[in-house]
Amino acid sequence: MTTILSLKNISRSFPGVQALDDISLEVEQGTIHALVGANGAGKSTLMKILSGALAPDSGEMIFENAPYAPADPSAAIKDGIATIYQELNLLPTRTVTANINVGKEPNHFGILDEKTERQKAASALAQLNASYIPLQALVGNLKVGEKQIIEIAKALVGKCKLLILDEPTAALNDSEIIPLFNIIKDLKNQGVTILYVSHRLKEIFALADVVTVLCDGKLVVTSLINQVTPDILINHMTGRKKIKSAFPEKNKVIKEEVLRLEHLSSSMVFKDINLSIHRGEVIGITGLAGSGKVELGKALIGDFPINSGQVFLQGIPFKPSPAKAKSAHIGYMPEDRKKEGVLEELSVQRNISLPSLSDLTQFPGFILFNKERELAQQGVEELDIKTPSLKQIVRNLSGGNQQKVSLAKWLATNSEILLLIEPTQGIDVGVKFEIYELIHKLSAQGKTIILVSSEISEIIGLAHSIVVLFNGQIQAILDGNQTNEEEVLQATFGK
Amino acid sequence: MRYQRKNNSQKVLQIIGENGYIFIFALWFIFLSFKTDTFLTSQNILTVLRQGAIVSIAAIGEMLVMLLGGMDVSVGALLGFSGIVGANLMVDFNLSPALAGLVCVLVGGMIGLVNGFLVTKVRINPVVATLGMMTVLNGLALAWTQGKTVAGSQLDSIAFLSRGYIGSIPFSVILMLLFYCIFYLILNKTVFGARIYAIGNNEKASWLAGIEVDKLKMLTYTIAGFLGGFSGLLQVSRQGSATSSMGNEFLFPILTAVILGGIGLSGGKGKIQNTLIAVIFLMTINNGMVLLGIPLYTQDIIQGLILILALSLDRLHYRNR
Repeated sequence: MTTILSLKNISRSFPGVQALDDISLEVEQGTIHALVGANGAGKSTLMKILSGALAPDSGEMIFENAPYAPADPSAAIKDGIATIYQELNLLPTRTVTANINVGKEPNHFGILDEKTERQKAASALAQLNASYIPLQALVGNLKVGEKQIIEIAKALVGKCKLLILDEPTAALNDSEIIPLFNIIKDLKNQGVTILYVSHRLKEIFALADVVTVLCDGKLVVTSLINQVTPDILINHMTGRKKIKSAFPEKNKVIKEEVLRLEHLSSSMVFKDINLSIHRGEVIGITGLAGSGKVELGKALIGDFPINSGQVFLQGIPFKPSPAKAKSAHIGYMPEDRKKEGVLEELSVQRNISLPSLSDLTQFPGFILFNKERELAQQGVEELDIKTPSLKQIVRNLSGGNQQKVSLAKWLATNSEILLLIEPTQGIDVGVKFEIYELIHKLSAQGKTIILVSSEISEIIGLAHSIVVLFNGQIQAILDGNQTNEEEVLQATFGK
Repeated sequence: MRYQRKNNSQKVLQIIGENGYIFIFALWFIFLSFKTDTFLTSQNILTVLRQGAIVSIAAIGEMLVMLLGGMDVSVGALLGFSGIVGANLMVDFNLSPALAGLVCVLVGGMIGLVNGFLVTKVRINPVVATLGMMTVLNGLALAWTQGKTVAGSQLDSIAFLSRGYIGSIPFSVILMLLFYCIFYLILNKTVFGARIYAIGNNEKASWLAGIEVDKLKMLTYTIAGFLGGFSGLLQVSRQGSATSSMGNEFLFPILTAVILGGIGLSGGKGKIQNTLIAVIFLMTINNGMVLLGIPLYTQDIIQGLILILALSLDRLHYRNR
């Protein structure tokens, strides 16, 4: 076997995080090479470097015996490395043919050569045993599995030699997975090398020849698949046990139910969720990407449809919407801070006061600016938000401070329940621990925290009880004081 | 932490970008003052302001809607239709001016509410929804009047609104300033104003912050309708009559003024006082061109060019941020 791709001492850091630390790796031609690791292990950073979306800080890459340093994703594709991300990049209102050829349409002096275009699309689909997909169909009307095939066909037309697949089964149902696996195996037999990035151990054992485990930005092991077991991989993925003292001591939960979910379902995304949540409790909700954990969180605030089942707030039926949640003293920190959590062009003061404004008025709706300022000042001090002034627009703050602003507005309304979705995603370690401290403090004050997170260490460190979702259903409810990372991780894999 | 550092040329560009039309206005103002004897007289200035009164009051409504990130292209047709209803009630049904005026404003508000409903509940794109509304209203106006002019001595009773004076100040100018003061306070000092800016800035985040976005949008479109209806009444008062096409001339100056005044097309930013200044600027363009003896058809060309210029400055300013 020959080495098609080799990485030598690749490192990459972001403010506060060493995302990749001295990674050296060799990928053999014509193999399926799996890349696994927990969230934050560095998988996506590595993938972005290979696909040309990011440059490494140091180290070198060799692809087909030549130095490989793509300037951007299109350069990577030209060199023969194609990446298929979880979010597919297709044109829903264009035909299958147009999608497969997009960006490299055969033409004569700018006039489309439709015949060649069709031939190319047809042969790419034939190569994938997917000729049953009509060339004239609009991609928007295809099933997810078929769309994925179109993405792969697109890569094949571009003469791809190394295909990177990022969690390709995350959005597929079981009947679509088998055909995809057959396609991947076929491609391997045709000499295409596959780098298969996934959380799902079962798939890796069904598909891969070689597996590489990343943990905290470091490469733990590269091994032939038949020399490891799922348990060994999970051990490698959790790495050395995290020091638990990084998290504050948990407090006692008062046995008073504040929120109850009964048979909560949303078509296909989460099913039959039953939960009872108590005052002062930190409840952690976790699961893999696509497990429905984020959608469940969003549904509780009315940002995701609930098809059946009910939510009870202090025993009274509650139909979620952001406005109703606000009056019920439920605060919500969304996952997408910039798009949903803050109003970037408005001041820190206005961002913090926004949900409370109607309480800061005198007849007939005039804002009491002194009170507004006081409220914002209090928030800034309580959360130690680093801003030169209250008038500073939020866009100019760092990510961590923006996150604090997003939270401060709900503390200002005296929220009794806080729903936090991936609160520490993409923020530096310092602020991360401040947020942990804060969650602990709030829970000690008797506030209820619903913490949706992919970071298992943070869930275990903070939550009294841990709800693990798998394929939209509750796989396990674990006691936060008894469990360990391995048990939680096993549950996220559906075991 | 990441703070912005701008070099000097960017700063200059930003100032010009934010106030581009004011610079051009100032140049134009100085030019006219020297070039003509008649421009800088209190008589002429008051004429300019009076001409701007109706446009500027309707422009407040448009400005509110555009601050939300929406748009109302039915404003001219709404103004015309409400005016016709008001005039018709006075002339043909002998309704008292106060009651007819009230109905006129309410009709405007109702139409605004329907616009708001289409935009929020039916989720039609604002431009398309109000374009449809504009067509319907134009048709209704034509059907209502049968193409005839609504006129009669009954309309003299409201002449004071547009043509009256208090001392030497036209009453319509006082109304205009009054409306701008009121809406300045609403936009800058009230929760309602703060929420309009918030929604225009980021609708999703505002919604998640518990603001009832749909209700507030409908209310805003309704207020824009009230203001349009009232402007229609003023126009009837100014003409002493109502015609089915009288609203048509208003859409362009209203939109131009609001955009020129720095209300971005995506919403969330801009100051109401700049809308007023922009209306006055537009009026001085026409006035100045008349004073300079420039032919009528050239005026449209110049108005259009000024709008494009101001918008280019606006984009430039954004790109360099």
